[in-house]
Order: sequence, then C-alpha cells, then structure tokens
Amino acid sequence: MTGAEFSGVDIDLLADYIGGALEGTPDESVVATLIADDPRWRAAYETLGGRMAMVGAELGRLPAEPMPDDLAARLDEAFSAPRLTLVPGDPEAPAAAARKRAGRRMRWATPIAIAAGVVAFVGFGLDYLAGRDSAQENQATSAAGSAEQAPAAPPPTLSSGTDYTRATLTTAPVQPLDAASMPDSTFSAEKNSDRATGALPGLSRLAPLAALQACLDAIQRENAGGPLSVESVDYARFEGAPAVVVRFTAANGLWAWASGAECGTPAGGADTLAKLPVR
Amino acid sequence: MTSGDGTAAPSDADLLRAHVEGDKQAFGELVRRHRDRLWAVALRTIGDREEAADAVQDALLSAHRNAARFRGDSAVTTWLHRIVVNACLDRIRRRQAHPTVPLPDGSRSEEGPSGVEPAAPAQDHDTALVVREALAALPADQRAAIVLVDVQGYPVAEAAEILGVAIGTIKSRCARGRAKMALALGDIAHPGEGNQEASTSVPSGPAADRRDQR
Repeated sequence: MTGAEFSGVDIDLLADYIGGALEGTPDESVVATLIADDPRWRAAYETLGGRMAMVGAELGRLPAEPMPDDLAARLDEAFSAPRLTLVPGDPEAPAAAARKRAGRRMRWATPIAIAAGVVAFVGFGLDYLAGRDSAQENQATSAAGSAEQAPAAPPPTLSSGTDYTRATLTTAPVQPLDAASMPDSTFSAEKNSDRATGALPGLSRLAPLAALQACLDAIQRENAGGPLSVESVDYARFEGAPAVVVRFTAANGLWAWASGAECGTPAGGADTLAKLPVR
Repeated sequence: MTSGDGTAAPSDADLLRAHVEGDKQAFGELVRRHRDRLWAVALRTIGDREEAADAVQDALLSAHRNAARFRGDSAVTTWLHRIVVNACLDRIRRRQAHPTVPLPDGSRSEEGPSGVEPAAPAQDHDTALVVREALAALPADQRAAIVLVDVQGYPVAEAAEILGVAIGTIKSRCARGRAKMALALGDIAHPGEGNQEASTSVPSGPAADRRDQR
C-alpha cells in the first residue's frame, strides 16, 4: 500500500472520517458522499480502514515496560526518604536528590559523601547545597575536618545594565566582576542590595542574598542538571525586561540563563526569560 | 496512610492532600502507584530512555513542588500524566530546536547509545521494532495522542483532558497518525502491495489544518 494508490484522495480527511473525528460535522456527509460516489475514495476507504485497524492492534500489542529499577529507586529515595537531604532543612531536598543522574550524570550523594570533602572544592555550587546560613554550615561540616570549613566563594556579581538578547545572552559579561573588587570576597547582602537597587530598581527584590539564593534554587530546579557552579550573576535586562543573567556550570553543561524579577518566588519559579547553552 | 491494618487505602487525592499538608511519605506512595504508566507514556512519547527518565523526573519534581495548585478539576492521575506528557513535548521541541537525530532503537546519534529499548519476545521483535519506528516518525502531537489511546489504552476523553485539547482533536490526531503508520508499515505487513516511495506523496487535504484547531 502506498500513498500513490490513493491519488486524488485526501488521506487526512479520510482518516478523520474513519477515526470518527468528523462525527457531527458537515465534513462527515461530504466524505460519505465521496466514498459512495468516487471509486478512488471508495477503494481508499476500504483499504485504509483495515490497515488503520491493524495499526491500532499492533500498537496495543507493544510490550509493556515497567519503569527501570534505577529510576524507580531514585524517585523512591527522593520522595520517601526525607532525611537523605543534601541541604539541611531544605524543603526542596527531594528535588535535589531526584536531580542526581545515573551514568554520565552526577550520581546520588549522601550527606556523608558531602561531608567527606567535596564541599571545599566546588565553590558556591556546593555552598549552596551545604546550607543556607553559617550555623547550618558549621554544624554540617564541623566533624569533617578543616577543609570543609573553608569559606565558600560568593557568586561573582555585577550590575552591567546590559540589555541582553538571545543573540548576546551567551556573551560573557564585559564589566569587571564585583567579586574581583571585593577584597574580603564576602558576599554581602548589603552590597548586593546597593548594587541591585542602585542600578536596576526592577530587580530590587532580588537584591538580598536570600532572594538571590532562592532564585538560583529555582534555576537549579528548572535546569535539572544538578548543583550549579555559578560563574557570574549580572543584574541586567533581557530584551528590555529587568533580568538577572546567570552563567553557571552544571552537569548538563555551561549555561547562560536570564530570569525575570519574579525568579525564586513560589509562583514565579525561575521566571525564565531565556536560557541558552554556552558553546 | 497505608492499608496494612485492613482499612481502605487512601485515594490518590488523599495522598496528594496529605503531601500538601506535610506528609513526607505521601507523594512517594503516589509516585509508586503510577510510575510504570507514567514511564511508559514518557518512553513511547519521547522515544529515548534517557530523555524519558529526565522528563519523568522533571515532571514529578514539578508535581511535588506544585501540588498545592492542584484544584481537583481532574483526576490526580490525569494531572500527573499531563505534567509528564508536557515535559516530554517540551523536550521534543527543544530537541527539534537543537537537533540530535533520534534513532529508532532509542539511542541518540550524537552521544552514542543511551538506552536501547528492550527487545520484545523473539516472535514479535521485528514487528514491534518497525511499529516503534513508525510511531517515532510521527509528529509529536499525533504520537502523544496515539501513545495515550492506542498504546496505553486511555479513553479518548481522558487523553483529551491530559493533552488539553478537544475530544475531536484526539480522534483526528490518532486517526491521522494511524493512517501515516499504515502507509509506512504497508510494505512490511503486505510486501506485495507496492513500495514506500509514495508515503511522502500523500496529499494533505484542505481541511487538515482546520480540523487540527479543534
């Protein structure tokens, strides 16, 4: 059977008729008339109807397949084991756990693995995972040796005011990063607030560190590539709208991500305006 | 929460409500109930095991986070399926924007084999393979409808609710998809009847786009 043998027949229309999609519409009687009066339509109807039924039957015979054990286990662990958290007290811990991938992606990690020494080497990305305040961080790392107690680097931020587009989003920030000019390399909410509110009032909500972290949380969730290692946060614009443009590396690569002012709110999620892989 | 003592098992809605109210186990139980069907829909819709796994994970995480927004307008399973299917369709659209050609066996060309679908029983292997190939070649909207209705056996009305379209649209997508597959599979099922060259010459009727708007 080929399409050529149905020359002169609108296959989609005939399929709709056979499948009952035309019931109650004017086209139903039109097609019925064509089948009755036109030998080509009649032949196509007789042939195609049987074949479509055969296809339906074959589809129904495709073997069932349960969810793979490894994926089922990851979901089980994520949604049923609340104490396997990577972030002490983080209500989104299931998300953090479930985003771990087998194989080429990051594998599951336990708090012990985190405490065993990786925290100190991945900067903000794991600072972010290790706890949101210093008390939590100290508690989480005190038993694991001095390496874990090294202060995590802040995400380098700037307020370039650049109006990014999809064509320029992956371009690295051109303004010197604030972090480079911050002698104590402390990520100061106050400084951050000054920076954001002074340059781009539309982003003042994202000035406090907690708000920025919530935004990065949301981006991490939406990216679904595991923990973020943030290269830069630019308080800027995207196609005219106030936006934080975050460049980060995750298990799924290097990304430039533009999020709007609602980033990190429960309703706004990551408020993603655009996201592009940096190649 | 469970029925080990002989009490009735909580409904899906009960579990979702319990999750929203802070029960740490409820959402996991809900996932365990439906994960195989959600996985099957994702795998057949997206055609790649790794992407299907990612889509299911992303979808369930989203459902976990946004459970409070569930208003009970549909069944919980319908809501879960809708989130999973949308996650799959989003991934397909992204893949089309950054093409990596999927192979019929479920692997991706750029990254090497990422998860070949398991073989069917020997006697059905060839047929299942070509049916999967033909299914994978359909437009994503038609494939999603066919996966729900023909592969998974959902009623047309529920598939319409899952995909957020009219019942007539589901019927049309399924019918057109089956017709395309019938053309693609014709030479295999009926080798004496012709060749495959004309599968691209099937005319699209003037009513085609109109009906897809329903």
